[in-house]
This record gives sequence, C-alpha cells and structure tokens, in this order.
Amino acid sequence: MSVDRLPTYSVAELNTAIGSLLERGFAPRFLLEATVSRPQLKKGHLWLTLTDGDASISGVVWASKLAQLSYRPEDGDGVTVVGKLNFWAARASLTVQALDIRPSLSTVLRDFERVRQLLEQEGVIDPRRARQLPSQPSAIAVLTSVPSSALADMLRTAAERWPLTQLIVVPIPVQGSVAPTIINTLEALAERSMELGLQALVLARGGGSREDLAVFDNENLCRVLADYPIPVVTGLGHEDDLTVADLVADHRAATPTAAIVALLPDREAERQGLVQRQSRLKDALQGRILRERQRLKDRAFAMQHQSPLEKIRRQRQDLDQKQLLLKALSPDRWLKRGLALVSNATGDIIQDLESVKIGDQLNIRMSDGTLEARVDQIQRSSTNPTS
Amino acid sequence: MSKRKSSNEHRDRIEGWRKDAAGLNYEEALQALDLLLAELQNDSVPLAELQQRVLHGEVYLNRCQTLLDSVEQSIVELDPKTLEATNNA
Repeated sequence: MSVDRLPTYSVAELNTAIGSLLERGFAPRFLLEATVSRPQLKKGHLWLTLTDGDASISGVVWASKLAQLSYRPEDGDGVTVVGKLNFWAARASLTVQALDIRPSLSTVLRDFERVRQLLEQEGVIDPRRARQLPSQPSAIAVLTSVPSSALADMLRTAAERWPLTQLIVVPIPVQGSVAPTIINTLEALAERSMELGLQALVLARGGGSREDLAVFDNENLCRVLADYPIPVVTGLGHEDDLTVADLVADHRAATPTAAIVALLPDREAERQGLVQRQSRLKDALQGRILRERQRLKDRAFAMQHQSPLEKIRRQRQDLDQKQLLLKALSPDRWLKRGLALVSNATGDIIQDLESVKIGDQLNIRMSDGTLEARVDQIQRSSTNPTS
Repeated sequence: MSKRKSSNEHRDRIEGWRKDAAGLNYEEALQALDLLLAELQNDSVPLAELQQRVLHGEVYLNRCQTLLDSVEQSIVELDPKTLEATNNA
C-alpha cells in the first residue's frame, strides 16, 4: 500500500473523524449493566467508573439529570444504566453519559435486607405492632400514582364492595427522587388525618419490576409508615414482591386491589346480615308474646297448686293412701285366711301359754265372728316349729 | 278525636326517629339496631313498649338498607403538595 493513498489527519481531524464514526455507527441509546466504582461528585456532576470486573469505562451523570434520579448509586452497587456515548474530540476520551441509573435486583435486595434487619433490631418491624383495621371505615386515604391502572382497579373494587367509604386519593410520584416527596406527603396527610376523618391509609403501586419498588425499602419512609397515626395497608407490586414498607404496615395486601378488599367490607355479605336482622326484628314481637304466654301459663299452674281447694284435695288423697295402708296392715287379712286371734276376758291378746291357765275364759276372733271358750287342758309343744 | 290525636303522635314519633337515623352513618345505625335487637331478645323491654321498639328498629334497618343501596362513592383527589382538593376526581 502506497503512503500517498493513506488518509492523513491532523490530531483534531482524527479525533473528529472518530467522533463522527461513533455518532453514525453506534446506537444513540443503550442499556449497560455494570457495577459502579469510585463515584465522585465534581461541580454537581457525578463521575463514576462502570465495570464488570474485567473491563471498565468512565461514566458521568450531569447535575441536571442527577437531580431527577430516584436512586443515587454508591460504590459497589450493581446498576443498569440507560446511556449514550459521549466522545470528546479534544482528548479523544470516551464516556458513557447516564440518562438514568437504576439499581440492579441484587442491589435492591441487598438494600431491602439491610433496612429490614435494622428495623427489626429496633423493633420497628414487629408483627405484634400491627393494629386492627377498621371494619367499616367512613374515609380512607389512597396514596398511589395518578392516573394509573392500579388506581382504576382500586376505585372499581371500592365501588363494587363498599361505596359508603369516602376515598381520598393523594397522588404520589413514581419518577425522580420520590422518597422525600412521598415522606412529605405522608407527614402532611398524617397531620390532617383527624380533620379529614381518615381511618386508614392505603399505599399502593401497580406491578412492574422489583427494582421499581425500591423506594418502598427506604428507611425513612418506612419509619414514617411504622409510626403512622392510622392503620396502614400496603398493596405494592405483584403478589411475590415484598418490601420493607409491607413489613412495617399494619396489613400487607398482595396487590392494590387486594388492599381495598382487605379494608372495605363486602356489600353483599352485609346485605345478608341485614336480611337476618330484619327477620329477627319481625320475630321479636311474636316470640315475646309466645314467651309471655308461656310465663302466664307457668304462673297459673303455680297459683293453682297453691289454692286451698287443691291443698284439701292433696290432703284427702294423702289420707286415702294411709287408709289403704292401714287396710293392708290389718289382721283381717289373716283371719280371712283361716287364722284366729285369741284374747283373754280382759281383751289382751294371748301370745303364748304362759299367760293362760286352765279354766280361763278366752275369746277366739274369726273372720266372721267370735267364739267364747274355756281352757280345759294345756298341752305344750315339745319343740318350737320356727326355731 | 283522641284516637286521631294518638295516631298523629305516633306518626310524629316515627318521623322524629327517621330524622335522627338520617344523621347516622351505616356503622352507627347498625349498632343502634343491634342494641335494640339485644334488648328485645332478652325480654327487658316492657310489653307496652314492644311495638314501638320494633318500629324504631325498623327505622334503623331502613337507614342501613338505604345506605347500602347507594351507588355513588365519594372520591376526592388532593393535591399532594397543598393537600387541597383538586377537581380531577
């Protein structure tokens, strides 16, 4: 190849040519997964090195963008960067300009664990702190992004279940540095909760990735929720997502809709309850009359039992029984069976031969009359037949 | 004449109950109804007042049913900065 045919540049021309090549040949926006190394603030801009262990490239978040970020990366954080390439022709230096930086799942989960452990140690996370939810709240606050499908779902569910509860919707931001804003809103609302008649708070956010819910692991936000003057119900993300906010809340619902279901009663079930009460009310009059009638009957019976006539009747009955008993015990029964009663002239019953002597006059009473007899002879038995 | 007077008194009394019940929310009306039902069922109400109490209970019951049949939910959206009501909702 001849030297004449090689392109010849000045340094500036070379750098400009590289710049224009990159501009034409490289995607204007891209996602970069990396670990942050040595982040430093210089004149409001955040400079950092993005690395995957083997390779690295420098990156920058301009001050104007930095203010909008919901998350500030720290040394060692795994991140996903939405970036574009910046090429400075003067020094031929290449930098990734970050338009957005989000923590990677591992960073989010690490932060979740850190805050969870801290708040558990302090007793801020404690299932025993959970308060009971109001059974039929007259007003509840719903903190969520507006408009959003989560809010639409919650409003629809609330209308179906329990339209009697007033819903006070307070929009919360989901873009930018949202934790301080949400905390401010929560604190301002807490001050006015009595005045607004609020009985519970719903903190909700529709689906998305776990990384999107990272703000609900914010330590300060969770402390505010834990000390909230009214019961807090969270409905954050999907069923499997768990945030620290869920752990400090009085009730964790799996989704925004489930939060409304947990808090508002079911109108149909309540209607059934009213039907039962209606029937109890209807029966109250009839039932009472029946019971009073029975009471009257009981009293009449008791009165009857205490009357003089009844007393005489009972005494007569008693006498009759005694008469029967007497009859049953009378010796007449024995006389009828052929036995006789022997008495002496003075009427004493003769029980043995000791009280009899020859010549004594005896009366022998039989069933149909009495014989008068005289003792001619006394003959003693040789043995006693009963012994 | 006295019969008519008595009937008017009866109507006025029920009207008074209705007005009172109209100021109750669902939970309050339900509590009042349950209290009355408990009294009726433990026979602590004098017989002469029985009919009146049942009518009073029906007023509470009607209040609950009316509230339950309402379909309009009150939704207020507050400005997150000022917490003043906006007209978006």
